[in-house]
Order: sequence, then structure tokens, then C-alpha cells
Amino acid sequence: MAVSDPDITSRFHFSREMIAGPVYRKYEKAIRKMWSVEDIDFSQDALDWERITPEQRTGLLGVTVRFLAGEQAVTDELVPMLAAAHRLRRFDWTMFLSTFLMEEAKHAEFFMRWHERVVGVLDPEEVAQHFLVRGKTVDPTGRFTVRDVMYEALPDYGGRLMEATHSGTDADVERAFVQFSAAYNAFVEGVLTMPSYEIVIDTTERWHAFPALNKGFRLILSDEGRHITFGTMACRILIEKDPSYEQCVHEVFDAYRGNIVGLVEYQKAVPDLDLDKYQNMKVRHYRNRCREMGIAPDETLIDQILDPSIDFVVGVEAG
Amino acid sequence: MAKRWTCVEAGCSWTVVTPDSQSAVLAAQEHIAGVHGSFELEEMIEDVLEDVDDDSMIDSTTPHA
Repeated sequence: MAVSDPDITSRFHFSREMIAGPVYRKYEKAIRKMWSVEDIDFSQDALDWERITPEQRTGLLGVTVRFLAGEQAVTDELVPMLAAAHRLRRFDWTMFLSTFLMEEAKHAEFFMRWHERVVGVLDPEEVAQHFLVRGKTVDPTGRFTVRDVMYEALPDYGGRLMEATHSGTDADVERAFVQFSAAYNAFVEGVLTMPSYEIVIDTTERWHAFPALNKGFRLILSDEGRHITFGTMACRILIEKDPSYEQCVHEVFDAYRGNIVGLVEYQKAVPDLDLDKYQNMKVRHYRNRCREMGIAPDETLIDQILDPSIDFVVGVEAG
Repeated sequence: MAKRWTCVEAGCSWTVVTPDSQSAVLAAQEHIAGVHGSFELEEMIEDVLEDVDDDSMIDSTTPHA
């Protein structure tokens, strides 16, 4: 075989090793598991909306509207990861992230359609009226503060990743990638939001209502499982390359510790749910994310999540 | 190689060893649903499975133990 021109060879990215690898497998699975919002029938949910009480409507809508906003935010904030994957010459990551971005957009579409067809609201002015605005967090000990992860941490870490991608070394990009992925995939998607998904699923089953919302959440969760484990797998690959990156993960979780230690805010909006269940599952998801990243969990954080004396609820009030 | 999965729910360290990944996913999901009233996503199980000797399956516990 003739020796090929390296400039020409560099234009091709597929390799046998890459297509046998775990990230490419996630890409293939995303393609196989494709679903469409158009295939979901919202008619029973519209009937259920008419029969529930005003208090139930307020509680449920407070949760779903936050998901509608959150899914739009994570769609908007993913671009730095794509740019970094390109910069790091990891084409399998770029391929997977193309499905990731499309799926986050689809999740936003699902919530848009649910609110339009079930509740009758769609335009920003209509849905914003139902957004649960975080009030002041009441931690009697004063040890913890709650910060805005979605609208503060993700743009901040994303900005740092874009800056590193444009003008940093490969090591700068890798370090910023671990920070961003720890915030986006491990913290927000992988720990903080998981109980919220389960709260909505538990609520629809407890009320024997809203089959489309239940189905949509389950479909979204199956996508999120790939997104979260892609991020933690990428962190693991980079941490194995340079173990000093592990500290970046702990720093991200430490910066937003209060958000995880506090009780899930939606339990205030949807009453009569088991508080302990969601704290216990936060611990499980945190340990799992650390296990996936190949790092040791912060046992102090786990103790704080489970400490019954730390029982403040992140304050929410109807906006 | 057999596959081992360990539950990391608070206060639980239940372990199962199965002949393949698919069986491990089913056993783990059955355990999480039955014992903890929750669910665990497929990828989150698959990505933390450990390879162990096939002989280890002898010591495997049942999903609800």
C-alpha cells in the first residue's frame, strides 16, 4: 500500500477502534431509539387537566413550566461541548453530541406541545406567569446557600470552555471540558434533576392521570441516561489521562453544594411525597456519577444529604 | 466473563453477578424498583458493570435480598 499524504488522511476520522468504542455505541443507540413528539397523543391529558383541582394545577404547572424553561436552557448551552469535541479531534464525541443536541431540542418541543395542547399556553408571556420563582433559601444553620445552577453555572462554565477552545492549549480545553461536563451532565442532569423526573412520574401515577406526560418523561429519561453517561465517560477518559482533573469535579459540586443538600423544591409544589426517597436517590445518583467518572465520592456531601437535621427546602413561590 | 453490579443506594450494598450485561440490567432494575421504589436507567447500569470470573455467579444474591 502506498504511503498516504498526512494532510489527506487527516480529513478522515472513522477508525475500527473508534466504531468499536463506547461513545460510538451510544451514538448508534441514540439513532436506534429515535422517537417523535408527533407520535404522542395528548388528548387524555387535556381531559385530565379539566378534572383536577386548582391546587393540583398550580403544583403540576409549576414543575412542568420549569422543565420547559430548563430544556430550552440545556439546548442553548450545549454548543461549547460540541466545539470542544471538535477541537480535541474526537469525532465520535462530535457524532454523539449531534444526537444529544437534537434530543434536548426535542425535549423542549415535548414540553412546548404539552403546554399548548393540554393547558393552552405557549407564548413566553403565557408560560412565564406560571414559573416558580425561587425565593430566599431558608437554611436555619446559615451553612448553605443555593445558587442558580442552570442560569449561572452552565453559562459560566460554558464560557470558560469556549474561551479555552478558541485560545487555550489542549490541556486547557480538557480541564474546562471536565468542569463543564461535571456541571452539566453530572450535577444538573445526573443528580439534581433525577429526583424531579421521578416526582413527576410518581405524581402522574398517584393521580392516575396524564399518560402523555408520563410517557414523555420516560422517553426523555431514556435519552438523558445516554447524555449523562456520555458526560461522565468523557470525564473518566480525561481524568485517566490527567488525574489532576478529578479536583475540577469536586470543585464544581462544592460550589453548588447547597442545591443538592437542600430538599427537592418540587416537593413543596406537589405535596404528600416521601421526602426521604428523593434524598436517598440523590445519594445513589451522586455515587453512581462518581463511579462512572472513576473518582471517589465526597463522603461529607453524602452525610449532609442524608443528615435529617439539614432539612431546609429550597424556597419557591408562584411567580 | 460474568458481570457484577452493586447497588449504591444509601444504606444498601446489594450485589448481583449475572452471565451477561442484559441480565445484569434486568436484575438491577428489578432490585431498584422492588426494594427502593425507584428506577435506574439502562446506561447507568451498563456503564458501571464490573467483569468478574464466571465462578462468582455462585455467590450471587437474589434481586430482593
